[in-house]
Amino acid sequence: MELVAVVLLVGLLAGYSVLAGCDIGLGMLSPYVARTPEERRRVVSAAAPYFLGSEVWLVAAVGVTAGLFPQIEGEVVAGQWPLFVLLLAGWLVRDAGLWLRGRVAAAAWHAVWDTAVVAGSWAVALAWGLVLAALLGGGALPLLFTPLCVAAVALLFLLRGAAFGAERLVPVAGRTGAESAEAAARATRVLARAGLVVLPVAAAAAWLDGGVRAGAPALAVAAAVTAVLAVTAGVSGPRWSRPTSAAAMASLPVLAAVGGQVSAAVADPRSLVLVAVATAPMVPVLAVGQVWLYRMVRRPAPESGFFA
Amino acid sequence: MFDDPLLWARLQFALTAGIHYTFVALTLGMAALILVSQFSAVLRGDAARLAAVRFWGGLYVVNYGMGVLSGLVMELQLALNWNGLNEVFGHVVSAPLAVETVAAFFAESTFLGLWIFGWDRMNRWLHLACFGVVTLTAYLSAFWVLVSNGFLKNPVGFEMRGGVAVLTDPVALVTNPSALLAFGHVATSTLLVGGLVTAGVSAYHLRRGSDPEGMFRRGVRRGVLAASVALLPTAAAGGAQYPLLFDPPASSGTTLDAAEIERIEAAGSGLVRVLAETGNAVMALVWTVFFLVLPLALLAWPLRGLDRWRWLQWLMPVLPVLALLAGVGGWVYRELNRQPWTVRHHLTTAQAVTELSPGLALLSFVLFTGVFVVLAGITGWLLVRFARRGPAGGPLAPAPPPDSGAAVPVHSY
Repeated sequence: MELVAVVLLVGLLAGYSVLAGCDIGLGMLSPYVARTPEERRRVVSAAAPYFLGSEVWLVAAVGVTAGLFPQIEGEVVAGQWPLFVLLLAGWLVRDAGLWLRGRVAAAAWHAVWDTAVVAGSWAVALAWGLVLAALLGGGALPLLFTPLCVAAVALLFLLRGAAFGAERLVPVAGRTGAESAEAAARATRVLARAGLVVLPVAAAAAWLDGGVRAGAPALAVAAAVTAVLAVTAGVSGPRWSRPTSAAAMASLPVLAAVGGQVSAAVADPRSLVLVAVATAPMVPVLAVGQVWLYRMVRRPAPESGFFA
Repeated sequence: MFDDPLLWARLQFALTAGIHYTFVALTLGMAALILVSQFSAVLRGDAARLAAVRFWGGLYVVNYGMGVLSGLVMELQLALNWNGLNEVFGHVVSAPLAVETVAAFFAESTFLGLWIFGWDRMNRWLHLACFGVVTLTAYLSAFWVLVSNGFLKNPVGFEMRGGVAVLTDPVALVTNPSALLAFGHVATSTLLVGGLVTAGVSAYHLRRGSDPEGMFRRGVRRGVLAASVALLPTAAAGGAQYPLLFDPPASSGTTLDAAEIERIEAAGSGLVRVLAETGNAVMALVWTVFFLVLPLALLAWPLRGLDRWRWLQWLMPVLPVLALLAGVGGWVYRELNRQPWTVRHHLTTAQAVTELSPGLALLSFVLFTGVFVVLAGITGWLLVRFARRGPAGGPLAPAPPPDSGAAVPVHSY
């Protein structure tokens, strides 16, 4: 029973990492790929439908943690209070930017909320890097490992965003302006190569710090991420970067689960039954909604819409 | 007093919950009315009615954004600031919240995304079905949150094992009268809010002589009807909860004995009682105003007064503001009446809070309450702005044809 709850939680976090990596990464990358007001508008237009479908995965993960793993919640969330406050603040600022940007047609208004999206996206990614470092370090933030872990996580978010932008920022048929998509496509290779350098160094730092319980499974996951990056860093350009960046992002929660020093918390069976019985009938609806939403927004982002 | 982290954590929760609920009440109430409007528009295949749905839907979505933002903070601040509650009652109060996030909010947000981006791209019945899911899950969400909240007031279905509450009877938890009556009250009172918002915005436009294709004539009638239907059930579901306030919960005495409970309750603050009764008075007073005004509006209907009587059209836009105020008043009354307990007769509010330094508690308060006030102010301003602007240029107004901007003016002779 406990395994079911753990798999559910890791699954929700993996879904969040893969899907939200797209819109958070593109938000981080937008000062680089979007130079003109029109390009900035398209970046928000590209990211916005995704965030509605992607952040629900994290909300659900937080809910499941609270409901089924109250001990983990107390230990990790309340224990790493400042990190989660940074995460929450970044999340709030970023979402406010996405929700509000399109509501007033004024350059200054757009500038304020574009800044909020970029700053919020960076804050969220950096906070996740810190949370991962704290989980792998068993509560403390190891001196050498922490900055490298944060850099590696930020690189993976950026890579995911670049891979997403390379496809979604392509102009709609018959329109010009592929510069953003091309900049994102070029960035995939650079980011993957940077990741290839940072990841082994981070692993070495973890070993040097000693406080980090690397463990064989954690090392295996890290090696898998490195392999994935090696594929992306090659000469084939952004072609493989969508699936490879997805695999790299999905491995982050797995790494936290196998390498994290979190005491095994037993999910209370009756609470688990309540959650299972009450959510099971909705699962098909959720699956249909998610697949439908992502199929609908798979095409190049339209010129204008609700968010931008 | 101000170096007490508990005070800041409580103030933060009260202010953020109050702001959150204001937007939630609007979301719930408007969803039901929009669903009916869209059904009627799709059934008739009427473009004018669909344009009206886009107008009301635009207000709905702007409001929903703030509901989500504030909801995120609500969920995470429970984990961050109220760890004492999670440690003892985490298995019980958080399980319904887990269901809320997975089964309700997840679907609500996904299908709202489909609804926003599905205009003109989707079969109209499927598009209507998307909003059906949004409406249903909005109510489902309210239900599960109230199951958790109802437990705090009337703890049922659990056992204390080694200082930790374990859920023993999920059915008792879900059918807790404290939760069911609160849900009935929230469902009916938000319909009242939604009706009054629709009627108020419509009356504003009718007063100014703007009524594109009759949308505001229909709106004022639909709004007055919905509010009138919800008026008495709101009072009934609300009034039925008063006895629950004063009866001790059935599980009283299983954690603390009667003497300890009495001692803790005797130490309660007088200011809290005054604030609670003020909330109750605001709620009752506003309801009485509605009880007097809504029959007048119903009377004005056959006399065509809804379209012509200026004083009524001046009065109507004030009513939704009163309704939202009453909603906050009701929550102030309900939550303060539970003090000094977080879980009545089991866990005090002082035990429920995370052990924070005063500096961190103040930082959290300033950060989140400050951001909330700014965002709520902006969202309120946007809502009023779009409500006054009318259907043209609303957030969900049809996009201009793709080439309108780039098109070179063609001079035809």
